Amino acid sequence: MEKILEHLATQTKGTCYKSYRYCFNGVEVPSVIYDDKQNIVFSRDKSGETNKGLPKPLGELAKKINRQGKPLFKFFLDGSRRTYKVDDIAYNNRIYPIIAGQIGVGCCARENPDSFKNFALENFSALSLPECANKDNMPNELFFNSLTAKINDLPSLKKRNLTLRKILPYEDRQLKEGEKYENKGIAQIQDEMIESEKKLVAKLARERKLDFSSYLIKDGSLQYQSSKGEDLKNLAAIKSNYRCVVGVSKSFNPELCLDQNKRSIAKKIADLKLFHRTPAFKYSTERARGVEFSVWYLRIRAINRTISPFDGVLKIEKILVTENEIAKGLDSDEIDLISANLINESFPTCYGSDNRWANHLYPIFLTESFIKSKYLSDVYFLNLF
Amino acid sequence: MSKIIGKIAATEKIPTTIEEFCFWTDQKRILHPFDVVKVEHINQSITFGVIEEISHITDAASYLTSFISSDFGDVNLEANTHRIGMNFVKAKVVSNTKDIYTPVLDGQRVSLATQAEVSTALGLDKIEHPLPCGYLQMYEGEDKIVLPVHFNSHFVVGPDGAHLNISGISGLAAKTSYAMFLLKAIQEKYVNEIDVKPNESTAFVIFNVKGRDLLAIDEANEKLPDEDKKIYEMLKVDTEPFKNVQYFYPHFNDEHPNTYAHKQDVKYQIDQNKAFKYKFVYEYDRESLELLFANVDDSTGTMDSIINYVLTDQGNFGNIRNWSDFLGEVDNHINHARGGEITVMSWRKFKRIVRKSLTNSFFANRISEDDNEIRLPDAISRIRKNDVFVVDIARLDEDMQSFAFGNVIKAIYDLKLGQAGEQDEIPKKIIIFVDELNKYASQDAPKNSPILKQVRDITERGRSLGIILFSAEQFKSSIDDRVKGNCSTHAYGRTNAIEISKGDYRYIPQVYRGMMTRLKQGEYIVQNPVFTSPLNIKFPNPVYKQFPNG
Repeated sequence: MEKILEHLATQTKGTCYKSYRYCFNGVEVPSVIYDDKQNIVFSRDKSGETNKGLPKPLGELAKKINRQGKPLFKFFLDGSRRTYKVDDIAYNNRIYPIIAGQIGVGCCARENPDSFKNFALENFSALSLPECANKDNMPNELFFNSLTAKINDLPSLKKRNLTLRKILPYEDRQLKEGEKYENKGIAQIQDEMIESEKKLVAKLARERKLDFSSYLIKDGSLQYQSSKGEDLKNLAAIKSNYRCVVGVSKSFNPELCLDQNKRSIAKKIADLKLFHRTPAFKYSTERARGVEFSVWYLRIRAINRTISPFDGVLKIEKILVTENEIAKGLDSDEIDLISANLINESFPTCYGSDNRWANHLYPIFLTESFIKSKYLSDVYFLNLF
Repeated sequence: MSKIIGKIAATEKIPTTIEEFCFWTDQKRILHPFDVVKVEHINQSITFGVIEEISHITDAASYLTSFISSDFGDVNLEANTHRIGMNFVKAKVVSNTKDIYTPVLDGQRVSLATQAEVSTALGLDKIEHPLPCGYLQMYEGEDKIVLPVHFNSHFVVGPDGAHLNISGISGLAAKTSYAMFLLKAIQEKYVNEIDVKPNESTAFVIFNVKGRDLLAIDEANEKLPDEDKKIYEMLKVDTEPFKNVQYFYPHFNDEHPNTYAHKQDVKYQIDQNKAFKYKFVYEYDRESLELLFANVDDSTGTMDSIINYVLTDQGNFGNIRNWSDFLGEVDNHINHARGGEITVMSWRKFKRIVRKSLTNSFFANRISEDDNEIRLPDAISRIRKNDVFVVDIARLDEDMQSFAFGNVIKAIYDLKLGQAGEQDEIPKKIIIFVDELNKYASQDAPKNSPILKQVRDITERGRSLGIILFSAEQFKSSIDDRVKGNCSTHAYGRTNAIEISKGDYRYIPQVYRGMMTRLKQGEYIVQNPVFTSPLNIKFPNPVYKQFPNG
């Protein structure tokens, strides 16, 4: 029975090497280009919130909300991908890695403290190949879609009732120092995951699941790369999907966060008292053109309970949607409400199961666990190729 | 359509096996050990399992996780999300509808079984020669099912297996009530000749060892609740009390009351000609003297020598006709020691042991049949099919209890071995019920104890002779291994933690052992060769008159 790689080599006229196959997660953590660690400079001109005074402590507000028993957050979204190097392939005397990935994007809904259920799940597999696999310079989309269809016709996949969702081409131009083709392939898979996340948020918005009493927490940053062909009209629609969505990042590099005067705010974050937040800053990024964010930091764990001053601090982002928000910043009351509700999400913890427990929110941890439980095992997946 | 309650989970560390499987279920689903569940298996077959253990787990890695999750020990914290948790249940495979015993597969659906399915799973639907032994109750609320349970009578009263042993602590276990429930079912089966061969017959000899417990078993229980009546109806046992009952009280007078029965009750029973007072007469019962020494450690055999001396009419013992002369002759041997093999010290010891008992009024010179007086061996020789003889020994001291018990057993043996009575009229089976078996067949009993020998003999050979022993005791671990080892059926009532730590309970799953310390009154765990697994059964209150105050 012909396997995927043999078929791929035949179809693209390349040579496979049967190299050692491995999962990236277990070997090294590549520095993916898209994460929260790049330099952020907050806008000088405008503050990210309406109230310019110092924020008040939020512990009491959190307790009050807790007593009412109506948490703001009802949906929890996380995306995850597991990438593998499955082989090397030679085109034009150059060797390129073949990257495979399992992608899972899921959203769980919480009806009450005892009911935590999957609301939507998207999990699929994808491959990433160098652009030069398309030897005849056909349009990439056409070529790779056709290749995907051919692979999905392979009996070895059909027998197992599995399909590849996409083959994603990565750029094969000359590498700069420190660059690796592997990372380019992984970035493609990461992008695909982000696209799925966006689609899932759109689905929630379309089905009118999100409103001012049912917010969504999205794990990680909201700074999505603008998609190709996204015009301003589309952008407005996409932005409106995020009206009730909060991005919560567990990790961030505080050294890269600079205030309006380009001074690091690392010490301010480190010195945050329990259940306090920083003022919200406003910023925009090249990566997501036309989108402005309000961002603030919130301490949810006492500093004496954590191993570093940044443990227990969450970075929270919200997209500014309305004209008013863009002009004046996010309403400080909304920021306080979001922050107080996040404080209430800080227990229980995943202590003992995840080293990032101090920054993890339990519903997100559950969503992540659910998505990962749906992956095929590494051994099984690698042997499909 | 059965209610699906979970799915099979087979993991690397805890796989499913031929013997057992685990499944997860909602943490709020109420299940009990001994509940039967069914699992869809290959070839459209169904595997049935009996629940052995139920555990609750969460994703907390340690207790510390739980502590930290409560904001470092804040007992008042109410979280928005409760920690994810579930129950996982370990079940023992009991059967498969197509006899496929490969392990059940991961992800298969687990559901509650219907009444018919439970019956099939536990093999209760195929039991031949059914004898009601209680009922099973499973699941909760709307899913609750109740079904009758039967022993195969051939494994309880022969010929395929015999003898029943019931253990459990006093009061809470209701041992006597359970034995009487079974005896009632057996009597009814034989009186009505249901599933009974023409030449088969039984009779019962029951020892009353506590208060007035069994001294009115032919009188109805007026206070039997309606629910119990329904259960008797389900089990197809009537609620009439025992039939053909005769009571045997130790002879009593004001000086030696000897029984807890009220005088007027005994008089009433005597007037009805269903009660007798038993006595022991030297002339006929001296051969049972050894029974008075059942609990005496006679390692040097001196007491045995003296008994032999007496029974072979040495000295002047051949001319004696009553117990007082006998004691006088013993005195004579003490006062005029002849320097024989038996020392004065031994005669003194002998006297000390027998004197205490022989002063009791039931060691008498003769019997008067007009006063409904009788010798126990004579009474036993008159036992006929379906008779129930109740021998009251409750108020006797331990040595005399042994004497009376030993006498009855010996008489039954003589009867069955053809040394007394017309063989045609002798019941094919005589079922003996005795509580406090530890007094007669204890692990610590002297190895030459004549009563221990008798009891061992019954359990080892009784099945073929038609002598069946239903016994009960508080602690099974204190009973002679050969005696309990030969019982085919065991019933475990409520017991305590020290007892279940003993070797006798080693082969019982841990969770069932734990349950034994929590069983309610009227609840038993029973083992019988025809059951594929131990069963947790219940039984109704007795049908005969109860004396709540003893």
